[in-house]
Amino acid sequence: MNRVYKLKLILWTVVGLAAAVGAARFILGLGATTNLSDVTPWGIWIGFDVMSGVALAAGGFIMTATVYIFRLEKFHAIVRPAVLTAFLGYVAVAVGLLFDLGLPWNIWHMIVFWNPHSPLFEVGWCVMLYLTVLTLEFFPVPAEDFSALARIRRFLLKFRLPLVIAGIGLSTLHQSSLGSLFLIMPYRLHPLWYSPILPLLFLISAIALGMMMVTLESHTTAWLYRRKPETEALASLGGAARWVLLLYLAMRFGDLAVRGQLGYLFAPGLHTAMFWLEISAMAIVPAILFSLVRVRRTRGGQWAAAALGVFGVVWNRIDVGGLAHLRQGAQFYLPAWTEVAISAGVVAAATLAFLFFVERFRVWEQRPADPDADPLKLPEFDKVGMTWLGVPVVAARTVYSLGFVFAAALGVALIAPQPASSRGVDPQSSHRARGGPILWIDGNLNGFGVAFPHEKIEQKFGGDASCVYCHHMNFPRDRASGCYECHRDMYLVSDAFRHDWHASPEGAHLACTQCHPAGQPRAAAGAKACTACHKDMIPKGTTIQVKNYRTVGYVQAMHELCIGCHKSIAKREAKPDFARCATCHKEDRAVTDAGGPAFQPPAVRGILLPPVPR
Amino acid sequence: MKAAILTDTTKCIGCNECALACKKVHHLGPDEPRRWDREDGLSARNWTSIVEGPHHTYARQQCRNCLEPACVASCPVAALTKTEIGAVVYDSEKCMGCRYCMMACPYGIPRYAWDQPVPYIRKCILCYDRISTGGQPACTEACPAKATIFGDRDELLAEAHRRIAGTPGKYIDKIWGEHDLGGTSVLSISNVDLSFLAPQHPAGNAPLPKTTAIAMDAVPFVFTGVVGAMAGLNWIIRRRMKIQEEGSDE
Repeated sequence: MNRVYKLKLILWTVVGLAAAVGAARFILGLGATTNLSDVTPWGIWIGFDVMSGVALAAGGFIMTATVYIFRLEKFHAIVRPAVLTAFLGYVAVAVGLLFDLGLPWNIWHMIVFWNPHSPLFEVGWCVMLYLTVLTLEFFPVPAEDFSALARIRRFLLKFRLPLVIAGIGLSTLHQSSLGSLFLIMPYRLHPLWYSPILPLLFLISAIALGMMMVTLESHTTAWLYRRKPETEALASLGGAARWVLLLYLAMRFGDLAVRGQLGYLFAPGLHTAMFWLEISAMAIVPAILFSLVRVRRTRGGQWAAAALGVFGVVWNRIDVGGLAHLRQGAQFYLPAWTEVAISAGVVAAATLAFLFFVERFRVWEQRPADPDADPLKLPEFDKVGMTWLGVPVVAARTVYSLGFVFAAALGVALIAPQPASSRGVDPQSSHRARGGPILWIDGNLNGFGVAFPHEKIEQKFGGDASCVYCHHMNFPRDRASGCYECHRDMYLVSDAFRHDWHASPEGAHLACTQCHPAGQPRAAAGAKACTACHKDMIPKGTTIQVKNYRTVGYVQAMHELCIGCHKSIAKREAKPDFARCATCHKEDRAVTDAGGPAFQPPAVRGILLPPVPR
Repeated sequence: MKAAILTDTTKCIGCNECALACKKVHHLGPDEPRRWDREDGLSARNWTSIVEGPHHTYARQQCRNCLEPACVASCPVAALTKTEIGAVVYDSEKCMGCRYCMMACPYGIPRYAWDQPVPYIRKCILCYDRISTGGQPACTEACPAKATIFGDRDELLAEAHRRIAGTPGKYIDKIWGEHDLGGTSVLSISNVDLSFLAPQHPAGNAPLPKTTAIAMDAVPFVFTGVVGAMAGLNWIIRRRMKIQEEGSDE
């Protein structure tokens, strides 16, 4: 087992998981597969995949500028891997963006529908153009191996200098414009991060990050392929990065001083702690490490400083992208595991592509051999499965596929069809209306109800004879049962019949066959109707027909009872106000405006109710 | 005419007729409580809502249809536009779903149909189709208390000033939306501070699009400058290397 093999297995597994999650994201939508919300519409897919991705790919334009513009030939060995990283980085950004966009198939709209005022429009165009430039810059490397492409390769190399210059111009623009994105959110971004020079800060930190990323990448691949890193050239690069980082620090703190926000540096709170950790990791500590000659010249020192710096700048982008935004409500955004899986999957896929390119083409002077690809190695035998796995390179592919499939299956299993909405309405039992001539209808006893002139209505419709207009079903030996007795929940459907009560020894204690036809004790069809026993349950002359014994919620019952008549009266007598909600739901404000008593805050909301009778 | 809505919270009885009328006119369907909903009650299916403020004040939450909208300035595909009449309208055919408008809006108004596989931005568009044909928005039409009214922006501002001056002490002497962030088409007067409607607490009268305009205007110059500087530097460096080479040859 070698390092390359282990790493590739891990990467393929991550890609497998992301493949399953990615499919779910497009089938189920953003709401079900992310923790994004109307409060935080942007999450790590923007902060990490897009903003950090673009910054991490800055090595491309830094190194091409160093070698082709400033003609510093000692960095020549680093140019090709830097351009490859930039190319794959931008492809990863584009792929990551496709997951984040709500309508990714419309991404080409930016080419057709223009809004030059939008920083995002500018970023989009620059990324598109720069990706083209990078493709043309990198194309000669794989083209070396194909004699058929020699002419295109020679043609492209002729235009290398203009391509490099265009790449630098485009990179300058969109690296800084990623900062401009947030200029329009002065009230959203925390004052420690918001600044009118945000574009400049983004550009300078991207330059530093480009240098540190090249260093980190060189050392990591050196470890991976047991290759000799370009320590000499990287030491000079570290020395340059130090000055960029010091410039960044000076600008960042100078900007805070000019804006008069230095007070926030020591204000207790989460944002302050985040700021100090971020600035230490991204600039202060790497600048110190790169300043020490003995650290700068060693492999370990270079690796540590670069790793910390890369981590810090990525963190800075995530902070600006969402973490350092001011709280705007009770919700707090933490990425869902699915979001992390997609981000990790995109990075893993880009890394696999990088490994493929360096193994297949001459990215470094010396092409590192995949240790498994040694043709002299013998086929492997799996003792557990009792099968020949083939030569190591084939065996490795089998295991990668296995990792991918397993992870994808795990992903599908983990994305349970969770309800994106709440579980529904919570049960809330309704209560009896209270009062005498005026009934206070307030089923959930929250003190916010309707005063129903029961006596007045009763007299208007003809005294006792009018009960049946509303009371359409009465309990045994009851003349007019209260609404709450059957409409037992405020919003949910409830059962007016209560089968279990009828069957229970504590209740009616009936045998099955007393209602159900013999031999069919479980069939509802053919069972006796309620009125077979309760002769006077449904009063004569009722206007509301009982179809079955499932009752609607209390609120719906009350509304259906009143609103129908109110609407027809409003129409007949041309009094539209009669059908308005506020006609019955008179709130304290309406009372106050009409010259009534002022509202007393400590009391209950709405109409003051008499105490609940026990 | 510059269309506008004026809401007087002292008249609002909180009956929600405006929200219901809006739902009906725009076919927004029933509400369901969702994980991604904000506290103010707006959602992809609710373009206006009643928010209860201190002392039993009811205030309307809705898109302000700003005079200089941040969402319009930020949209990369120009899916949002400020129309002549005053409404800020949305073209779902153009949208690519980047949600930059949601980030840019200082009032946090645009909402997203997070539950849809094909999601769109949703917000109040001042009933653009109705007002452009001489009608009025569904909400102002439905209001039983005449608490929210529709009209010309200048006339409504005059009316608001008249009400504030007419009953001294009843209102706070401020019209929300008159000058805020360059002014908005949705105005409010109230007896309580309405800042609870904007959790980001935007302050000042400077329109937000100006903040990015400075950076965006510099783009062509930066590009020309960088490209020119790089080409020039490269030319000088190559020339010096050539001279050095010739010198070493001799």
